[in-house]
Amino acid sequence: MKTILNILKWIILIFFIFVALYPLIWLLLASFKSSNLELQQNSFGLPEKWMFINYYNAMLKAKLTSLFFHSIIVATFAVLLNLIVASMTSFVISRENFKGKAIVFTVIVAGILIPIISFMVPYFSIIQKLKLYDSLLALILVYCTINIPISVFLLTSFMESIPIELEEAATIDGASFIQRFTKVILPLSQTGLATAGTFCFIYSWNEFIMALLLTSSESSRTLQLGIRFFTSQFVTDYTAMYAAIVITIIPSIVVYFIFQNRIISGLTAGAVKG
Amino acid sequence: MKKLIFLILVLTIVTAGATFAGGQQDSDKEVVLKWPCIWVGEDSKANAVASLVEQFNADNAGSINVVIEAQPDYDGYEQKIRTSIAAGIVPDIFTMKLNPTTKAYYESDLLMDFSTELGMDWGKDFNEGTVAQATVDGMVKSLPYEVAITPVWYNMDLLKKAGVSAYPKTYKEFMDTAAKLKAAGIIPTSQMTGGSNAWTSMLWYSHFLASAGGKDVYNNLFEGDAYVKAAEVLLAMYSDGNTSRDAVGGDAGVSGGHYLAEESAMFINGPWYIGRVRGDAPEVYAATEVGPAPAAGNNSGAQIGFLQTNFAAAANSDDPAKAAAAVKFIKWMTKAENVAEISKQAGSLFAVKYDASTIDDPLQKKFIEASNNAAFTIPHLAGVVPADVVSEFGQALGKMALGEATPAEFVEMLKKVNNQ
Repeated sequence: MKTILNILKWIILIFFIFVALYPLIWLLLASFKSSNLELQQNSFGLPEKWMFINYYNAMLKAKLTSLFFHSIIVATFAVLLNLIVASMTSFVISRENFKGKAIVFTVIVAGILIPIISFMVPYFSIIQKLKLYDSLLALILVYCTINIPISVFLLTSFMESIPIELEEAATIDGASFIQRFTKVILPLSQTGLATAGTFCFIYSWNEFIMALLLTSSESSRTLQLGIRFFTSQFVTDYTAMYAAIVITIIPSIVVYFIFQNRIISGLTAGAVKG
Repeated sequence: MKKLIFLILVLTIVTAGATFAGGQQDSDKEVVLKWPCIWVGEDSKANAVASLVEQFNADNAGSINVVIEAQPDYDGYEQKIRTSIAAGIVPDIFTMKLNPTTKAYYESDLLMDFSTELGMDWGKDFNEGTVAQATVDGMVKSLPYEVAITPVWYNMDLLKKAGVSAYPKTYKEFMDTAAKLKAAGIIPTSQMTGGSNAWTSMLWYSHFLASAGGKDVYNNLFEGDAYVKAAEVLLAMYSDGNTSRDAVGGDAGVSGGHYLAEESAMFINGPWYIGRVRGDAPEVYAATEVGPAPAAGNNSGAQIGFLQTNFAAAANSDDPAKAAAAVKFIKWMTKAENVAEISKQAGSLFAVKYDASTIDDPLQKKFIEASNNAAFTIPHLAGVVPADVVSEFGQALGKMALGEATPAEFVEMLKKVNNQ
């Protein structure tokens, strides 16, 4: 009976691994095919000839190098700004007692539930009024802001799990409000910060619709917009587009692998808090 | 040390703000017109349009500079225009498809009304009736530019290979032809339920509506037998291997790709696709003929014709110099010789009068012939219903194709959204 259950467990695991990995493997193989025609005729097989030139074309045609740089800037600064704002907010919510604390937390975190599309018009208006349309700063600010609810949610849970005694000891030693945050809570929240930062980075890296809405010129275009250069109203160069997609997903995977242990422990922090 | 790190962090963000905030810049001397443009990248009109803009900028150096903001993703482009207008901000110049949803833009003061300019000599440059189609309550807030008919494209070589000597004119002939094509390993038709409007299949359906309901079929939307009859024929196209397996969920790349790859024998699209076929599949281009869809009802020989793209511009009532510059540029784009150049390179047809004798493309000539020979012409369905119905069309079609809805239920789904 135990053996059967074990086999069943492995069958289910292999099935889900296959479901999770198959699209990525398919994408990788498709990116090496010679043309849309081969893609249609030999959709699931190995490429007849491995076309490494698709990657070169993708870099050249969509000017991926400069777009890569823009995406790095936007994602990095959005993460930094997001963590600064969210950690300060979370510190106050998790460690201080004040009237309406629960309401403030609920209002901020409720942002997670609101579809991004409903923010399009207000964000567009604000960015236009700030004269930031078509700038990387517009994207940095918007991505940072959109991710504040999830970051506050994660960091508040994490900070609540830090023993109050540590902070009390610091207070006895003469630590001020700011010192308690910068010298006690923030250093102990690294795992939570890594989790929130990774979420923000992946979102900022992959986001398309706000980038489309808030930018227009090459000088502020991000990678996700560059990928669309392989499509037009009626035509799509799929193989080059898939090569570009493979290039763009590498940083997200790298970031996740670097921080995966922290992400998992960050997500589970506070889950067993008594 | 930590103070230093914190300081560096703050300084970095401030520096980033200063460095990456290079957004809108106003220039005192030169009028800069920004044009979010879909005719870029892989589009067949991209080169011709870029060249015309370059020439215009050179001719108006120091006074007007038109900047193309490349928007290759059409669905995203439409979303951007909708959001901009909802926020009360209109691009200096843009293009749009005129339909019941975009006609609502006419109600605002954000768009420029070209009626006064057209009332002078400019109006004479346009083909008869086209300006009237873009007129709402006496206002012309979008200027007819690209027009299209969308006949059925059929690959005569593939038909011959399957033992079919003539293009099918009736539904029965079509089914016989489809059977022969399938026996020869050829997919009879290209279809798609994906994209924002299930373009190819929406056009097939519009053809069948014309055949089943005649030229007044849109007078009572989704009422009468014609809608269900046309849906039954469309369902037949999705059944028994009459289209590719990837049609459900497929987009324009899929439906067009099968035709270009000589895998499917019949396909529908507009003349702007000629440039693509000519460049990427010369054998297909040489073998392509165009004609009306096989008659699925009492009417035959109809074509689907419409204003494909209209030019529009921001009203700029507080900036007459910018408004004048926009008119000057659009006039440039509608000059007969410039339109002829785009037409020649891309295969597109235009609402502007130009010397069609310069067209030497045989397939483009076949389009013009098909247009002239049409028994009557109606717009496509997506051009006469609100955007919600257009979005619903692909969903409902997918359900019908997968056997989850009958033709009557398919029509009912569209009707329900239309009545909301």
